[in-house]
Amino acid sequence: MEIVVLGAGQVGATIVEALHDDHDVTVVDLDATRLQALSYRYDVRTVRGNGATRRILQDAGVDRAALVIACTSRDEINLVAGTLAKKLSEAQTIVRTSNPEYIEAWQERQIDVDFMVSSELETAHAVSRTIGVPAAKQTDVFAEGQVQIVEFDVPAGETAGDVVGLPLKEASIPADSKVASIIRGERMLVPRGDESILPGDRIIVIGSPDAARAWSRLMAAGEQAVDDVVIYGAGATGVAIAHVLLDQRIRVRLIEPMEERAREVAEELPGARVYAATGLDPDFIERERIGQARAAVFAMREDPKNLYAAMLARVHGIGFTIGIVHEPISAEVFESAGIDVAVNPRSVTAEEIVRFAHDPRIRQLAMLEGDRFEILDITVREASKLVHIPFKELPMTGSLIGAIVRDGTAIFPHGDDRLEPDDRAIIFTESSRVAEVEKAL
Amino acid sequence: MGALRFPRPRALGVDVGSAVNLVGAVLKYLGAAFLFPAAIALGSDEPVLPFLAAAAITGGVGFAVERVTRGKELVGPREGFLVVALTWLALPAFGALPYLLADEPQLSNPVDAWFEAMSGFTATGATVLTDIEAVDSSLLMWRQLTQWLGGMGIIVLAVAILPRLRIGGRQLLQSELAGPTELERLSATIRETARRLWVLYLALTLAAIVIFTLYGWTGADPAMNLYQATAHAFSTLAIGGFSTQNESAAAFAAVTQWTIIVFLVLAGVNFLRLYLVLVRGRVRAVARDDEFRLYLGFLVGGSVLLLLELLGGDVFGGADALRNAVFQAVSIMTTAGFATSDYTEWSALAELTLLLLMFIGASAGSTGGSIKVIRHLLMFRIIRRELEQTVHREIVVPVRLNQSVVDDRAIRGIVAFIVLYIGLFALGALGLVIDARRADVEVLSFEALGAAAACLGNVGPAFGFAGPFGSYAPFSDLSTIILSALMWLGRLEIIPVAVLLTRGYWRA
Amino acid sequence: MRAVPHARFALGVDVGGALNLVGALLRYLSLAFLFPAVLAAGYSEPVWPFLAAGAITAGSGFALEWLTHGKERVGVREGFLVVALTWLLAAAAVSLPYLFSGEDQLSRPVDAFFEAMSGMTTTGSSILTDVSELDRSLLMWRQFSQWLGGMGIIVLALAVLPRLRVGGRQLMESELPGPELEALSASIRDTARRLWLLYVSLTGVLVLVLASLGWAGVDERMSLYEAVAHAFTTMPTGGFGTEPRSIEPFAPATQWVIVLFMALAGANFALLYRALVRRKPAVLARDGELRLYAGLLALASVTLVAVVWDAGIREGEAAVRDGVFQVVSIMTTTGYASTDFNEWLLVTPAAALLLVALMFPGGSAGSTAGSIKVVRHLVIGRVLRRELDQTIHPEYVTPVRVNRVPVDERTVRAVIAFVLLYVGIFVTGALLLLLDAHRVELELTPFGALAASATTLGNVGPAFGFAGPMGSFEPFSDVSKGIMIGLMWIGRLELVPVVALLTRAYWRA
Repeated sequence: MEIVVLGAGQVGATIVEALHDDHDVTVVDLDATRLQALSYRYDVRTVRGNGATRRILQDAGVDRAALVIACTSRDEINLVAGTLAKKLSEAQTIVRTSNPEYIEAWQERQIDVDFMVSSELETAHAVSRTIGVPAAKQTDVFAEGQVQIVEFDVPAGETAGDVVGLPLKEASIPADSKVASIIRGERMLVPRGDESILPGDRIIVIGSPDAARAWSRLMAAGEQAVDDVVIYGAGATGVAIAHVLLDQRIRVRLIEPMEERAREVAEELPGARVYAATGLDPDFIERERIGQARAAVFAMREDPKNLYAAMLARVHGIGFTIGIVHEPISAEVFESAGIDVAVNPRSVTAEEIVRFAHDPRIRQLAMLEGDRFEILDITVREASKLVHIPFKELPMTGSLIGAIVRDGTAIFPHGDDRLEPDDRAIIFTESSRVAEVEKAL
Repeated sequence: MGALRFPRPRALGVDVGSAVNLVGAVLKYLGAAFLFPAAIALGSDEPVLPFLAAAAITGGVGFAVERVTRGKELVGPREGFLVVALTWLALPAFGALPYLLADEPQLSNPVDAWFEAMSGFTATGATVLTDIEAVDSSLLMWRQLTQWLGGMGIIVLAVAILPRLRIGGRQLLQSELAGPTELERLSATIRETARRLWVLYLALTLAAIVIFTLYGWTGADPAMNLYQATAHAFSTLAIGGFSTQNESAAAFAAVTQWTIIVFLVLAGVNFLRLYLVLVRGRVRAVARDDEFRLYLGFLVGGSVLLLLELLGGDVFGGADALRNAVFQAVSIMTTAGFATSDYTEWSALAELTLLLLMFIGASAGSTGGSIKVIRHLLMFRIIRRELEQTVHREIVVPVRLNQSVVDDRAIRGIVAFIVLYIGLFALGALGLVIDARRADVEVLSFEALGAAAACLGNVGPAFGFAGPFGSYAPFSDLSTIILSALMWLGRLEIIPVAVLLTRGYWRA
Repeated sequence: MRAVPHARFALGVDVGGALNLVGALLRYLSLAFLFPAVLAAGYSEPVWPFLAAGAITAGSGFALEWLTHGKERVGVREGFLVVALTWLLAAAAVSLPYLFSGEDQLSRPVDAFFEAMSGMTTTGSSILTDVSELDRSLLMWRQFSQWLGGMGIIVLALAVLPRLRVGGRQLMESELPGPELEALSASIRDTARRLWLLYVSLTGVLVLVLASLGWAGVDERMSLYEAVAHAFTTMPTGGFGTEPRSIEPFAPATQWVIVLFMALAGANFALLYRALVRRKPAVLARDGELRLYAGLLALASVTLVAVVWDAGIREGEAAVRDGVFQVVSIMTTTGYASTDFNEWLLVTPAAALLLVALMFPGGSAGSTAGSIKVVRHLVIGRVLRRELDQTIHPEYVTPVRVNRVPVDERTVRAVIAFVLLYVGIFVTGALLLLLDAHRVELELTPFGALAASATTLGNVGPAFGFAGPMGSFEPFSDVSKGIMIGLMWIGRLELVPVVALLTRAYWRA
């Protein structure tokens, strides 16, 4: 298929590297030298110009493309390019952004692109995975945050609790939650009582925020090893990491040398402890017992600084260090210097985009509402046939009532609960059944 | 050629003319308030003249002041402090006129009359009357009405009504409304907000009147009639504490007392929040409010402490003990000052508990006085942050209220307020004992502390002879003036007055 | 990729290290018992209580050190714990001779501990109903404990112990009164030495002056023993006396001398050092705190003299002396009394309230006095003025200055938090005392409770009612005594080191 990539920076280059073998790739960038370098290495077509203009997009052949990837380093360029491409062609569009607000708007379907990737968020998830707690891959929020739909990768190793490997009806699933779907290989299973979750599956869970957290603890490999993480640098990446870790109920300490920024971050993150310090002062490290943290993440802007801080932290007893690197070469330097994991935000982002481009299954999941599945938020009518009948007596179909919102509070129904008129039902259903469900309610 | 140069008059940074002009305008309207007691006087065959004369004088002076001073239509934020401070000095001065004109022997001393009026408008409830029931019913109603007018605030009323305050009223409102809340506007315009506050206030007062009157009609409380109902609804919603009875709330039945408790607790809630609950049905927003929770916590804590003492001291048994304990805790903490029993005869512990409750106060944006629950809450959080920063020197901890961050400026204002409050309280108490020594009045140290706290916090009754069934009459004139000043300072929350005393305020 | 290491127990404070240092301090403290032991031998009074107490203190010090062997390095964070524990254990050690001596009035451990804490913290509240019944050696031990506590045992340890050469600054800051430490010399150790030297010399001078008053026949009651005993409690602004009626039995001349030295002891020692030793008296006149301190003393003295004179309690020199003496004694948090001012309570409540109010200013920072300290009032005053200025001129920027030097915002905030916390603890203390009094049906007025709380928290000494200057704290219940022991302890260490221990943030990594 034909793919248009906007941006020939690190992310763009990584994407091109992964995709140029199987697909026809066109790369657009303002910088001729970058384009040249790319075209010498890979067999790709290049167009020089501003990707956020109609003319350049048409030059790049967007009308023939099946996929448009806007991954320059500037959010607004990407957004304009993405939305333009959507209007100009039938292509699916992927947009890279660093602003969580845009992601939120996209999830609420207010930005019309097919997939949005944030370097910060992807990095945070990567960090979270290396620490041993799988973060929820994607969270959708319904009913003012009372209902969450969360996607998990079930780890191949050992997991906590009695869930994996047991038939669902016997598994001890966290209260106020339901397994909405199990994806195994290419197949998508409707979870009935005798179905069980196996290692390597990807699952979709619907439940209360508390239950979502309980699930993410369950999905942790082995016992929860880390409960105290120090993050150096409170830039956008550091804050995103803090957000994700805090959601897993991990204690987070953030160290930021700029006082103004430290104050902002302290205001934004009530759960984290924020220090206005360089964190490189031995007295500070000693006094704050930085060495007792289970792991440290170095997310400052400069690689050498990160390296130095990480080495210093190791000297003071931190057992597990994760470095965020900005230059591709730094990853090797870091790991050979003894830093446990080096995460490159750009390559993580590129990987996620490539995965989307490669794997249609992920695409469907990422766009839960896309073609196969839909989440409906329906207010039950008085006349519905299903009203007043206990759930266990409702006919088994491919649809699942994940939650009911009654008088402003979410209920996660059990067998004996009934639908009442004027309830808001959050329903997880196959797209083909949407009409049927709507009629029934 | 050298022209003679006259030294320019030192530049004054405050437009006094405009400020006084606005005060005149507010006074003019106050004249109308005298018509209500005048009507009562007509109905009960009591002299009407004092009220009409007072109305004429107030209105006349207001007009005169307005004419004499040429004010700009718009007053700046700087003049706002002066307007508020002056208005609240002028109000009791004119509010005292009926007391003087009516030839009431207990109020014939102008200082006493002014004290009584100040206590009324500031919704304090301290009185120099020794026999309240001996006073004319119309005059008593005026006394109750002053509390009601002062409770929600004259300037809030003025902003709601006066067209010229359509703009620039925000800052005036802020200096008069109790507590440090950012004025969360209920509507887009400040004027509409002020109106809604008054409508809510009026509605609650009417509800109280109806309920009290019903008790009277159904015989649940034989002492209650329409007159008493109105009088007590006025002073309950204003969290004032004036009563028409010598025995305060003790003159009424238990059911009335419980109802007063309920209305006091309501009036002690932030009216902006109360509006959200009662009118817009947003219960959840208020139930989760940090200040509201602590407010209830303090009320329950205070009640339990008093209850323990009452049960231990066998003054009352069972239900009586419960009612008296809850009533007193609510009445003193919300800074009303009603009483169902003479608590000066309770134990020493009860006295200290009540003295401490006087410092807590109601919520910000309510009609109560004193320090206010929200400031205690923030103070606690400030201290906790300070301790945290002593141990972890580099940590950055914003102070939060209801999940949102309180900015440092507001925090410093709160701290300054609390320190000033404590300082004024101590100075006031010292002034009282020293003056008592001079004037040969027997005032114990604790009673002086009580009187200073009760007046500064706009509570009302204190301890000793100034107890709930007693009177402030024995204090010397100088002490009475000190106490009036404390009420004035307390009602305006000190800062608007304190800034007037700095040189920086007057300089350009 | 390496695996994440396993969870360790995360405690942010090295308790072992702290205990080790406390042990070392205790070991040295045991030497102090030799002084009363020698005295006891001289007066042929039982020596063994002191020797036994010394042995136990030294033994437990050794034991603590041995148990925590290998943790000699103390970090900055442990400072609070070291200071708080040291003062608690030192008071316990001081109480041992009281218990061993078989003295009836001190036979109960709570009483003995109260007396010892009151001594170490230089409070001067006593549960003794008749001081004169005590052995002379035991009495001197009581005086001596105040002298030790006055300048601070940790400051002493800093001056003497080699191992505290590093990291001692923070320890000293939490022990020395006042918001900031003014270094007199480059090394903290030298500063500590100079402070102690000044303290010892001033005490020596006072002993000489008092003793010569006795020798010259101006004050017949003033023997060398009395001179030493009173010098020991005047310089640390302590307030224990050897007479049941405090300073009253002594001649007016003695009382004036004591007034002078109390006022001196309430001044900043670093400032005194520069004025007296380095001969730069001009620094005294320029210091904002000292000026406010002197001003407050003068203002309060005039007021009290006027009130006392006007009430007809005293006249002439006696009125002036009693007024000034009480003001200086209470404001410097000494707690001596030249007359039973408890009797003023009924005659002129104004005097009583004034005295309670005076319990709050306290002496200067860096003095041996307790309570809030004048410099904090100074800072608060300036902060308030700035706040008012900024209310009118929101964009106005001005630092808070003391002695023309800008005080950094951090210190300003700490001062404010201190004052608020102080008021909060004072009120809570009073309420608890009354609650407890109510429980045991003890006759305690609200004013009495407020005074008792203020006096113990401010390390002043006497309160009102039965706990007045000539009375005793003995009637309080054990729980109340426990509360007051806590208040004295918290007050002496200036709240923060103790209160910080109660926060979770202190203990967490």
